[in-house]
Amino acid sequence: MSAWRAEQLETDLDHFHLGPVDLSLGTREAVAVLGSSGSGKTTLLRTLAGFLPMHGGRLLRDGEDISDWLPEERALGYVPQGLGLFPHRTVFGNVRYPLELRGAADADLRTNALLERFRLAPLARRRPSRLSAGERQRVALARAIAAEPEMIIWDEPWQALDVGARHELGVVLSELREQDGIPIVVVTHDPALAFSLADSFVVLDQGRMRLSGSATDLLDRPSDPFVARFVGYENVYDRPVLEAGRAHGFTAWLLDRAGPEGVALGNPVIVPTTGVPSTWEGVVRSARPTPEGLRLELTVDDLLVTTQLPRPWPDPLPALGARLRFNVAEATVHRLGTRRGGSS
Amino acid sequence: MSAGGGTPVHRRWRSGPYWLALQIALSGSLLLLLLLPIYALLTYAPLSRILAAAQNAYVREAIWLTLYASGLAVLVTALLAVPLGYLLARRRFPGRSIVEALVALPVAVPHLMVGLGLFFLVLPGSPLYQFTNAIGLPVYDSIWGVVLVMAVVSAPYTVLASQLSFQAVDDRVLEAARSLGAGGGTAFITVTMPIAFRGILAGLLLTWARAVSEVGGILILAYTIYPGGLYNGPVTNTISVYIYDLFQAGDLVDAAAVSSVFLLLAFVLFLGVRLAERSGWVPWRRGDLAP
Repeated sequence: MSAWRAEQLETDLDHFHLGPVDLSLGTREAVAVLGSSGSGKTTLLRTLAGFLPMHGGRLLRDGEDISDWLPEERALGYVPQGLGLFPHRTVFGNVRYPLELRGAADADLRTNALLERFRLAPLARRRPSRLSAGERQRVALARAIAAEPEMIIWDEPWQALDVGARHELGVVLSELREQDGIPIVVVTHDPALAFSLADSFVVLDQGRMRLSGSATDLLDRPSDPFVARFVGYENVYDRPVLEAGRAHGFTAWLLDRAGPEGVALGNPVIVPTTGVPSTWEGVVRSARPTPEGLRLELTVDDLLVTTQLPRPWPDPLPALGARLRFNVAEATVHRLGTRRGGSS
Repeated sequence: MSAGGGTPVHRRWRSGPYWLALQIALSGSLLLLLLLPIYALLTYAPLSRILAAAQNAYVREAIWLTLYASGLAVLVTALLAVPLGYLLARRRFPGRSIVEALVALPVAVPHLMVGLGLFFLVLPGSPLYQFTNAIGLPVYDSIWGVVLVMAVVSAPYTVLASQLSFQAVDDRVLEAARSLGAGGGTAFITVTMPIAFRGILAGLLLTWARAVSEVGGILILAYTIYPGGLYNGPVTNTISVYIYDLFQAGDLVDAAAVSSVFLLLAFVLFLGVRLAERSGWVPWRRGDLAP
């Protein structure tokens, strides 16, 4: 399997400019491309796959510049959004397609082996329109593998799947990476699956690369409100919200610490007594016991603050409308929107 | 249900028996409108005259010529109109709307005008007249004129049908095919065409139906078909012109009898196509293209 590298990749689609984006992944590596809708994720994948011309930078496979190669020459298993299954072919015909293109003598044999591997054998004669979302996903993957790709590029693999099927697909993709050594690039909105599959992350925002790095990098240094929420910060405040809020107290304190786009807080600590520095008071809006701890939602000024209280939590639970004091450690406060470009 | 006096009535109207009755009444009226003329046509001439017409050599020749010419027109159309449909569906170019309007024009104007236009184009003595004669495809009063008129007036259906069919092919499906190793041409043959095929075929069927029923343009360009050039069949007419002739001559019974023969034939042909579609004799199936 190959090592891939995109250097300062840039492209334009209508009035949208993407890049420069740097990407690098070797055998057995997976990258997740994150970003809100319209950030250029699909454009990036289509550029890698060769459907959009690059207007800058280059794409290297094992050191060879393949920027000008046609899509069919790149040996990329590109799975577009919606999967792009052939509606006029059966499951068998879909998976067999890439083998037919090469005139493989053992096409039937290999197709059947792939159908077995992806548990599609009983569905071989069905058309894609008569499959469940999870089955369709498996067909797309089996078909991509049949082409013996040097890398798999998948736009929203987990789209339209229920929880069980999502988990299963995650396992299959991880397997592909571990056993077959095929590098994988996915675009996704699902943090849990992105973290379980990918080693590194690229965050796009309005066509620009905001951040690239490991999961820990993202967690320690969230680049913007989108990433902060994506990696699981619950207390994320956009700058305009803070600016529109009260000019003193907790809101002002947050605004002081906010970057150009806002601020994210780690888990605020509920403190039993008053008089501790950086201590604020909130009104309990909800209190819900969970396996991880007592989940508390407080309103402070007009902001909502969420926190977890580990066991043992007070019994009875804090009443709705009760006042609780909490403390925010400076180290858990993250400025958002300060960095530009990549790091690590 | 409690608030607003009009709500319950409105609901009953939409989902209740009145709504259904209205639907049945309206659709039934249209079906009657379609059926009654056929009934009138089929019952005007006695059965003996219809059978006689079916055995009449001239009627048979006219029907054969009509089917033959319309078949050729469909072939010409398939060859020329499908690529245009593809172009309109998948390429952006300046003047596209003008081309689209131009394509639709033959459908929108009286076909006599189409015939007139073609007539002026190949006026005896004109370069095109000499050229078509030289290559054995004379247009005036010839079967090739019939084919020409039929192709011009009916091609728009195939252009439109293939344009819509090609537009319905998802770009992402094509991109998947390319990424799996298919070149542009291969992807067209293995993905685009099979998916669009059914719609195009439906367009060709409509084209054929329109070609068969053409009369206006043929009246002007090829009223009577004489042998000549590459055609050495008998002197004849298309069935439409032949029936028009009978009517003009006041021979209403024969006009009705010949019409009945052709009507039954057309019905059998269309029924055959439908049945073929149902029984899977054709290379596409119902519901194949459902999402």
